[in-house]
Amino acid sequence: MHGIAAWFRHLHETTGINLTIAYDPFDRARFLHGLLVTLELSVITIVGSVLVGLIGAWLQGARLVWTRRIVQVYIQLFRNTPPLVQMFFFYFGLSSVLPTMKNSFGIQEPLVSGFGWACISLIFFAGAFNVEIFRSGIEAIPSSTIEAAEALGYTRLQTYLNVVLPLATRVCLPALTNNLVNLIKTTTLAYAIAVPELLYVSNQIWSDSVNVPEMMVVLLVIYTALVGLLVAAMKAWERALRRPGLGT
Amino acid sequence: MTARVLPVMPPLPKVLRRDAPLPRLRLSLWHGVALAGFVVLTAMAADAATEPAPRAGVLAVLVRWSPLLLRGFGFNILISFMAMAIGTVLGAFLGLGLVSLRRPARALAWVLTEFFRNAPWLVLLFFMIYMLPFRIQIGPLSIALPDWVKAVIGLGLPVMANVAEVMRGAVQSIHPGQWEAAESLGFSRNQQLWQIILPQCIKRMIPPWMNLYAILVMGTTLASIVGVNDVVTLAGQVQAAEGGRTDLLVPLYGYVLLLFFIYCYPIARLTQRLERRYAVRI
Amino acid sequence: MIRRRLTLLSLLAGLMMAAGAWPARADALQDIKSKGVLVVGVKADYPPFGYRAPNGDIIGIEPDLARDVAKRLGVKVQFVPVVAANRMQFLEQGKIDLLIATMSDTPDRARVVAIVKPDYYASGYNLMLPKSIRITAWDQLKGKPVCAIQGAFYNKQVAEKFGAQVIAFTGVAEALTAMKQGRCVGFLYDDTAIEGQMLRPEWSAYAMPLPSQDAQPWGLAVRMGEKSFYDFMAKTVADWHKTGLILKLETKYGIPQHSKFAEEMHKKYE
Repeated sequence: MHGIAAWFRHLHETTGINLTIAYDPFDRARFLHGLLVTLELSVITIVGSVLVGLIGAWLQGARLVWTRRIVQVYIQLFRNTPPLVQMFFFYFGLSSVLPTMKNSFGIQEPLVSGFGWACISLIFFAGAFNVEIFRSGIEAIPSSTIEAAEALGYTRLQTYLNVVLPLATRVCLPALTNNLVNLIKTTTLAYAIAVPELLYVSNQIWSDSVNVPEMMVVLLVIYTALVGLLVAAMKAWERALRRPGLGT
Repeated sequence: MTARVLPVMPPLPKVLRRDAPLPRLRLSLWHGVALAGFVVLTAMAADAATEPAPRAGVLAVLVRWSPLLLRGFGFNILISFMAMAIGTVLGAFLGLGLVSLRRPARALAWVLTEFFRNAPWLVLLFFMIYMLPFRIQIGPLSIALPDWVKAVIGLGLPVMANVAEVMRGAVQSIHPGQWEAAESLGFSRNQQLWQIILPQCIKRMIPPWMNLYAILVMGTTLASIVGVNDVVTLAGQVQAAEGGRTDLLVPLYGYVLLLFFIYCYPIARLTQRLERRYAVRI
Repeated sequence: MIRRRLTLLSLLAGLMMAAGAWPARADALQDIKSKGVLVVGVKADYPPFGYRAPNGDIIGIEPDLARDVAKRLGVKVQFVPVVAANRMQFLEQGKIDLLIATMSDTPDRARVVAIVKPDYYASGYNLMLPKSIRITAWDQLKGKPVCAIQGAFYNKQVAEKFGAQVIAFTGVAEALTAMKQGRCVGFLYDDTAIEGQMLRPEWSAYAMPLPSQDAQPWGLAVRMGEKSFYDFMAKTVADWHKTGLILKLETKYGIPQHSKFAEEMHKKYE
């Protein structure tokens, strides 16, 4: 560990390439914390938005007209407005009208933290796209399959869970992968509401140490790696789910 | 063998069947009206909750600052047009590289496409803002690069990568029979591409291209984080100029959301209509 | 697949690390006079030093100082709003000719841009706290969240020295809103800026009880290597102190008490 730090310090002194995250313990701690927060954000929002997508796709097949309309309104609202402004709306706007509670410092603080609102905002944003994706997967199932399930005595919920979802998942995995990749990239927006994720801490580090190009390269490398990991995992899942003769 | 009478199950509700149409909202205006109503309602509620004088009513504040906010929004639209233009032109070249027969061209195009598709847009923006020089000297000519132009370039790069992907997808979706028929008629590879395949691709590329534009319009708000004075920064400055009133927040950001919605929703509907019209019927 | 990605990443790393310098400017003073416009970077969210009027114009003490410089040069003035995170880059890259944006004169910064001596103002950093919070010493901030602005040089200091949890926003508006909503105990900013904010009636429930830390003089800056422009600005700033222009501007924009630094410099150059 000390050897690596010493090598980077030497690199800074000789070439001017300044990677403080390698040799300065304060910067390194900050950076690793930021990476952790980005990973947390990614995992929570991926899981949450998939759930929202599943529930929304289910509700879009509901019997009540108003349920379907409300889901449509939700989708159109969140798809046609910028995610950054949505985040500001939640963090600054909605926060100010929700109730507050007294915290340990004696001031009234909002119930949901910046990280919480970032998660909520991103889950709703990506969830809206996921509802459409799952819906297109459901539509791709031949009606004869659904009718066969009906003939076998499945209820609506049983059909959805045991017949529709497995088939729809296989159809919409490519589009879902695309959306989840976008979601990981969109977590950088949490920077604007001071969530200490990777871009935020990198900005602080390069403001203090004036090493913008180095931090940029590190950032791009890490995000490429993260996205690559997700795509590899989804492709592996796709391969595992493949059934000969189903789809293209 | 005795016959068992099986219970009769009623048929599934219509909406789960394939033949039932998906719920489509007829009046596209209603959404905008609903959102506008929401903004006005919150403004009025904030108004009612505020003490009377000397603070101005929220609606009055919105009206007073509307010219500035609309100018900011117009700036966002300008950025989106320019970034889309740059991205489309560059993406077309990159797309040609992706379908090229030469391996090095394909590899280079693949590297660039993957890189710009996987990089977060905000990081690319920061990169362009910090790394691009203010002025470019080409011989006697010196071109200025103000901040928003750097943002345009920064936004044009992921657009370029996505346009290249769309083009590649469109070319690959053309039935191989078309290539074979063209080859059997004696067209060279280049002629096949430009005279037979690409004209068929254009129709297929339009809906995803428009979808990309809508995403880009919403991406222009990222420029506010790197210091460009777009509608989001202006909204913050308006709130600060009005004394930092917290009751202004929901109406102000709701107003900005409304502006984007009014612009993007018609584009989304048009895209849907074009998609249906251009759907390939095999 | 992995090899492809590794090649991509290494290509990239090589390209970026080679990001070089751009050609040095010829002579800014001549350029400004021939262009007929002086482009100045000022703050647009820092009353009373630089903020927006309802019609969109940027007004304040520093824009007025910039106007004075332009008058002396016989050119028009054009303002570019900047924030702490980008002001030095704008100057380096030539986007602005002169930087008057509440920038503290530190040796780190003097390595990047040419900070004109004598300095024209001074401030330390301080904390705007609600009157209901009882904090009497900086050490009591340990573990408490404070709202701040991205890029301020004292953020790291406060986090390291006092153990506070610094939550940095991109603009003053967002930071103040977050503080009002109770997301942090106070707002960490320059004491002059906090004084300016507290002049407004809506901040009557807030105070600045702690002693200002780390009083740093502010310097205006020009690009490195601009000798003639630097000398011109040095003379101009000395003249400002001599004529007491800064004291007059403080009064004009409603600062109740003249800052010690401005008064000392006025006496020194008189």
